[in-house]
Amino acid sequence: MTAVEFINLLISALLLAGLYAAVAVGMTIIYGVMKIVNLAHAGFMMLGAYFNYELFEWLHLDPMAGALLSLPVFFVFGMGVHWLLVRWLPKSDQPTLSSLLLMFGFWLVLQNVGYLIWGNSDRAILTAHRRTLPLGPITIPTAGLVVFIAAVTCLAVLQFILHKSWFGRSVTALIQNPYAAQIVGVDHQKTSQLTFGLGTAFAGFAGALMAMLFSFNPDFGRPFLVRAFVIIVLGGLESVTGVAFGALILALIETFGILFIPAGYQPAISFGLLVVVLLVFPTGIAGLLKRKWRLA
Amino acid sequence: MKFAPGFLPWVLLAVLIILPALGLSPNITRLLFITLVWTTTSIAWNLLGGFAGQVSFGFAVFYGLGAYTAALLIDRGVNPYLAFMASAVVAVIASFLIGLPTFRLRGPYFAIATIGVTEAVRVVMSNLSITGGASGFRISEHGPFRQVHHYYTALGAAAIAVAISILVSSSRFGLALRAIRQDEDAAAGLGVNPYQCKLWTHGLAAALTGMAGGIYARYAGYIHPQGVFAFATSISILLMPVIGGVGTVWGAVLGGVIFGIVEEELVANFPQIHLLLYGTLLILIILFEPDGLLGLLRRLFRRYGRDSQSKEADQALWGRSRLEGREL
Repeated sequence: MTAVEFINLLISALLLAGLYAAVAVGMTIIYGVMKIVNLAHAGFMMLGAYFNYELFEWLHLDPMAGALLSLPVFFVFGMGVHWLLVRWLPKSDQPTLSSLLLMFGFWLVLQNVGYLIWGNSDRAILTAHRRTLPLGPITIPTAGLVVFIAAVTCLAVLQFILHKSWFGRSVTALIQNPYAAQIVGVDHQKTSQLTFGLGTAFAGFAGALMAMLFSFNPDFGRPFLVRAFVIIVLGGLESVTGVAFGALILALIETFGILFIPAGYQPAISFGLLVVVLLVFPTGIAGLLKRKWRLA
Repeated sequence: MKFAPGFLPWVLLAVLIILPALGLSPNITRLLFITLVWTTTSIAWNLLGGFAGQVSFGFAVFYGLGAYTAALLIDRGVNPYLAFMASAVVAVIASFLIGLPTFRLRGPYFAIATIGVTEAVRVVMSNLSITGGASGFRISEHGPFRQVHHYYTALGAAAIAVAISILVSSSRFGLALRAIRQDEDAAAGLGVNPYQCKLWTHGLAAALTGMAGGIYARYAGYIHPQGVFAFATSISILLMPVIGGVGTVWGAVLGGVIFGIVEEELVANFPQIHLLLYGTLLILIILFEPDGLLGLLRRLFRRYGRDSQSKEADQALWGRSRLEGREL
């Protein structure tokens, strides 16, 4: 492998990492606050992709604008789903059977709605953006770059919200210790609803961004669900930084894995990584680093 | 268990044994066969998901591996019953591969990993050449096709599954599993090894599911990765015990029987709204009747003052009776 090839692969891994982080972050905050593994995340991503597609087809809206528009729309949608379904779940400090099955059921419903509306053929958003940006021998895909910038910007905004606003601090408090947080006056129900909205907004946003890069069908989100979870395991649950870190590792391994593993087996990589991580660092790499820190 | 007095299962078994002698149409026999296969997997899922509280979205892996193992062996002329045992063994090995890394951890790791496993295995099986890859595998078994023979095999498997389920449910091991489901820390404190219990239960469930897969493959004569390894298979296997009543022996049986008949006779006619129906059913059950049909029946019976026995501590499964603030 030449140096140019290496750099090209590195760039595509980086661009992929931004996208993966946007996918995983919504699941992370929902899991952190409510201890719900949001399996419907994949369904929200699929809807996000079709949302962007429809806006593009009917209103000829720029897909980038469509992706940004998906944030408020899916925020409201997520709050609605929380109001309708999620808030009836029994509260627990551990993920419960009922929450897993409820979100799974909702995912099936979303998937079927997708099939009913759009059929099972693959769709794609075809824009003029499908060019590459040549930098000497190195090429950067424009669409990938735009998506990366959008994803990273939104993550930065999220990071800002989580650290600087009352809502963000209550989210962090609930993640760290739900009981203590409630004692000092954090409204669990309200924060949960907002968090669910925010997580859904990010799912829709990530889906809309991905629609600019990949083709999609109603079964679109499933491979990314496992990836999102691998990222959460790798990066830990506490922070956006952890998610970004996990996303980077996964993207690097997947991109460079192509060199050693036949492309047909690529979907198995994220699962293999999950097993290795669980065996070697059961607390995630973030936990490992933290432990080292404490020891030092 | 309360409505099923001791002799009822035996009556049921006797009826099912005698039925073919009364001359059933091939179509009804097929329906009964499929229902029995489904029921076996339902009981298997319930051992792990119901008793031990570990949700798996990946039972299609065992079903599919069992189906392929049996198919490959029968095709080479191995005795079918030996082949079914081999199916069970292969499924158990697979269950250990999944369980060893994921059961060490608390939380949803196992559940999510099972989604990943299903994906990964289907991808691998679609690319594997000895099984015919994505185009599937056709089994050529020597000898005449006797449907009743298949029916009795499936009945045997279902009976074994029920027997195992009853044994587990009423044994010390079953108590340990329920303890794990309700509070893993407390269970460990009382001398239960949650890791080993989960691992063995997973293995037991996998063996039954693999066997069921093998029996199905021999009957069907043709299997392909998009069928036996499909995510839909996992969904069906999980849905049955939830419909019937998770965590109870007869709930899983009831769920399997109802699902088998409904799936084959009704839902197969509406493939477009398949997932919608199942998803909605799942949501409704979780929100309104978490104990499934058996729970509903129990409530109806209690209204007439028959069943004074309260639901054991099953509610803990759904987190209702979990003491809030336990961590403080």
